[in-house]
Amino acid sequence: MTELIVENVQKWLGGLQILKGASFTATRGSIVALLGASGSGKTTLLRCIAGLEQPEIGKIVIGGKTVLNGEAKLALPPEQRNIGLVFQSYALWPHRTVRDNVGYGLKLRGVNGDETAKRVQAILDRMGLGHLADRFPSQLSGGQQQRVAICRALVYEPRVLLLDEPLSNLDAKLREEARYWIRKLILDLEICAILVTHDQGEALAAADNILLLQDGRIVQEGAPHEIYTNPNSFYSADFLGANNIVNGKIERVDGGIAVFGGNGWTLGGTVRGGGPVSAGSDARAVIRVEQIAVSDQPAPDAIEMELDDSIYLGDKWEYRLRRGDFAARAHGTRKMEPGKVYARIPAESVWVFPNGA
Amino acid sequence: MSPDNQAAARVAVAPPSHAFVPAPKTPKVANAGLFRVIVIGLLAIAVLAPVGLIVYQSFLNAPFFSARAKLSLDAYAYVLNDPSFYKALGTTAMFAFGMVAVAVPLGGILAFLITRTDIRFKRTLEVLVLVPMFISSIVLAFGYTVSIGPTGFLSLFVRDIIGFVPWNIYNLPGMIVIAGLSHVPHVYLYVSAAMKNLPSDLEEAARTSGANIWQVSRDVTLPMVLPSLIFAASLNILLGFETFGIPLVLGDPNGIMVLTTYIYKLTTLFGTPTYQLMAVVAMVLVLITIPLVWMQRRLLRNSRRYAALGGKGARVSTLKLGRGGQITALSVIALWLFVSVGLPVGGITVRAFVNAWGEGVNLFSQLTFANFDGLLEVPSLVRGMINTMILSVVGGALAVGIYLLIGLAGHRNNGISNTVLDYIVLLPRALPGLIVGLAFFWVFLFIPLLTPLRPTLISLFVAYVVVGLSYGLRLLQGTLIQVAPELEESARTTGATIGRTWRDVVIPIVRPGLAGAWALIMIIFLREYATGVYLMGAGTEVIGSLMVSLLQTGAMSTIAALALISIIMTGAGLALALRLGARIHD
Repeated sequence: MTELIVENVQKWLGGLQILKGASFTATRGSIVALLGASGSGKTTLLRCIAGLEQPEIGKIVIGGKTVLNGEAKLALPPEQRNIGLVFQSYALWPHRTVRDNVGYGLKLRGVNGDETAKRVQAILDRMGLGHLADRFPSQLSGGQQQRVAICRALVYEPRVLLLDEPLSNLDAKLREEARYWIRKLILDLEICAILVTHDQGEALAAADNILLLQDGRIVQEGAPHEIYTNPNSFYSADFLGANNIVNGKIERVDGGIAVFGGNGWTLGGTVRGGGPVSAGSDARAVIRVEQIAVSDQPAPDAIEMELDDSIYLGDKWEYRLRRGDFAARAHGTRKMEPGKVYARIPAESVWVFPNGA
Repeated sequence: MSPDNQAAARVAVAPPSHAFVPAPKTPKVANAGLFRVIVIGLLAIAVLAPVGLIVYQSFLNAPFFSARAKLSLDAYAYVLNDPSFYKALGTTAMFAFGMVAVAVPLGGILAFLITRTDIRFKRTLEVLVLVPMFISSIVLAFGYTVSIGPTGFLSLFVRDIIGFVPWNIYNLPGMIVIAGLSHVPHVYLYVSAAMKNLPSDLEEAARTSGANIWQVSRDVTLPMVLPSLIFAASLNILLGFETFGIPLVLGDPNGIMVLTTYIYKLTTLFGTPTYQLMAVVAMVLVLITIPLVWMQRRLLRNSRRYAALGGKGARVSTLKLGRGGQITALSVIALWLFVSVGLPVGGITVRAFVNAWGEGVNLFSQLTFANFDGLLEVPSLVRGMINTMILSVVGGALAVGIYLLIGLAGHRNNGISNTVLDYIVLLPRALPGLIVGLAFFWVFLFIPLLTPLRPTLISLFVAYVVVGLSYGLRLLQGTLIQVAPELEESARTTGATIGRTWRDVVIPIVRPGLAGAWALIMIIFLREYATGVYLMGAGTEVIGSLMVSLLQTGAMSTIAALALISIIMTGAGLALALRLGARIHD
């Protein structure tokens, strides 16, 4: 069931266009992640959905109700949109207890006292916060504050839950736990959630669908696995994962397969990204670090490379490889001595993008 | 079909942007627009009506209520041909600039000592140096009269020793020095704020480049705080043009007039009310002060930009004064405090408890409560004390409520009404209290519906609210701005309207700040004396304005008792403000 429709939302700030026509839909019981670098417009898009910013052009429908229609000059204020928003800073009201923070939305909706108390206690218990109901926000830890903020946004059962970088103020270990239980909670409650993040790990782990934003546009949309393994542009390919970026020339093209090379080396690769590809043109290739297998034994499909150094990373070793002007990083399980090594780089993992794609 | 084509098909690509950028049109949102327009509109009426009446009156040839009144330039012709007007104008200018010459260097040095050095008793000094700001200048001036006037306590004491009095405060230089000393806190406030925001790494960079401490002060510190010094100077020029109490007490006996006392004297000069002439002088005064206010606004904006350059409110490493330096610095501050607080307050305190003094009279044998007993026998004085209390305590609280409503109307308001508010607030700053009181007096006479309110405290209260507007609103806005925007936004997304958000989130969070603001507004209303000069009548007397009218009769004992009561009330207000955690440093 579609809960949120965003259509061609465009927003200017002075003469600068921040959103250049974003469109997507989101359904109940799923999480859509808005992923992008800072300045890509992801937070602005979220705030437009919430009604905290007013786009000049576009249409937004939440739960079947049109909340924004640029042509009709209709823009409902945030309080009429039936949404819940979890702020990056949590924005808990310092003068209210946890109970009153969470119960406020119910009070505004005219729910009576007993019912409010019951529902607040139920959701706090569910989040393991039941014993903290009478504390003030300043008496809670960061993780507890975050859960209170989520309770507050969920307790009145909004049609859409908006999460603005909800995990960025947590420390690394807590963050991994939190993204797991937030996802579980949203799926259990069958709500529609939009998650803004700049952290690809968070988006990949928590979302059902990722929208990758660049410069006010959605440049790619897809399931986490698809967007990671099947990027449609250099930006998408480079934004996700840990990558080697290689500059070179296309020597031969044969359908989707290209031979790509530079000074003293050639690689088989797959041409990606739109646009015509011709032999002799400059191109860039993206190779995910984990796709390169390094061995000290020669193999027929491996190229010989120079190992400059092995760096210990704790759970693995990183190899610094070089051949001519082709430099690459790869991972392995053991220390290798500098010198000649053999790297297997499958052609389907060498994504060649003509320059400008 | 290649995989990337599949992916591309699923992406909702925006239509290519048009060759032109459509004019951004923001759809209407519920933004409490009606509330904002009503509040700002009412404020505009409250401020513009009296000003408009002054303008109108200045172009009449008789008081506006007179049947003979018709449009004419007679009043301008009279004033602009009156040599004593030009004399007053010249004196005012000299007074204002002289005051700056005294107050700015002293205030700058004080700010430097307290913010940038390791001077002892810093915490206490920070509060003490502001004290002169809170005493009304009529009280101060009177205090100087009884302590170092020709027959003041200290003057007589010195004459006993050396045979003559080596000073005279009843002339222009005397007035300038006294006014300058009492305005040092105004300079200190702005300059110390700038110095606190000045990161010391800028100075340290100069030190490590080889500059000694004086070169650093001259080449780095001074240029960095120059905008705040200029701002403080322009503020003092403005205050100099508006000052009334000091010239009235110290200048008037020798016929030295400034513009405000010239207006005041016009009443007595002709015997009949010459409103048109007063209006013309008020116009001249306002035409001088409005550009000053305008200039300050620009300066403030620039100095903020300057401060933003200085990075975060950085750690300030203090300069070591050493033992000799400590003693010198503390002595300078102590001397200044003695002259600008100790002398007047001490003089008033002694004078309030004696009736006769002179050479060879032992003051201790003259101690008496007769002056205070005398106060209680005169009903108008008793009423004055009660009214002052009501106006400052109750009126101050109401005023904070009004300023809060105005502050909310301008809070996160990007509309036209906010620009209107910005300009409306400037106007009262350009108006001396004397003129605001006069103008409201006219308003209450002019509008038949309001006339019944004139003999009530409401008329004074309205005028006080306008007089305190720029200070009070700045206090409130400073408090409101501290509420993080997300706290309000989260209330909105939870389902609260903007009004509910203010009621349930913003106001509860700023409540502690409101208490402090109340105490400070209370002091402002306590010390106000000029506004009531024309506005008060039988039944609505206030202490400050009573002192002004008593000066004419020469009832010094009564004035001394009233002044002491005023000082005690102010002291209590200040103690309360500090107790409530008011940020008197703003």
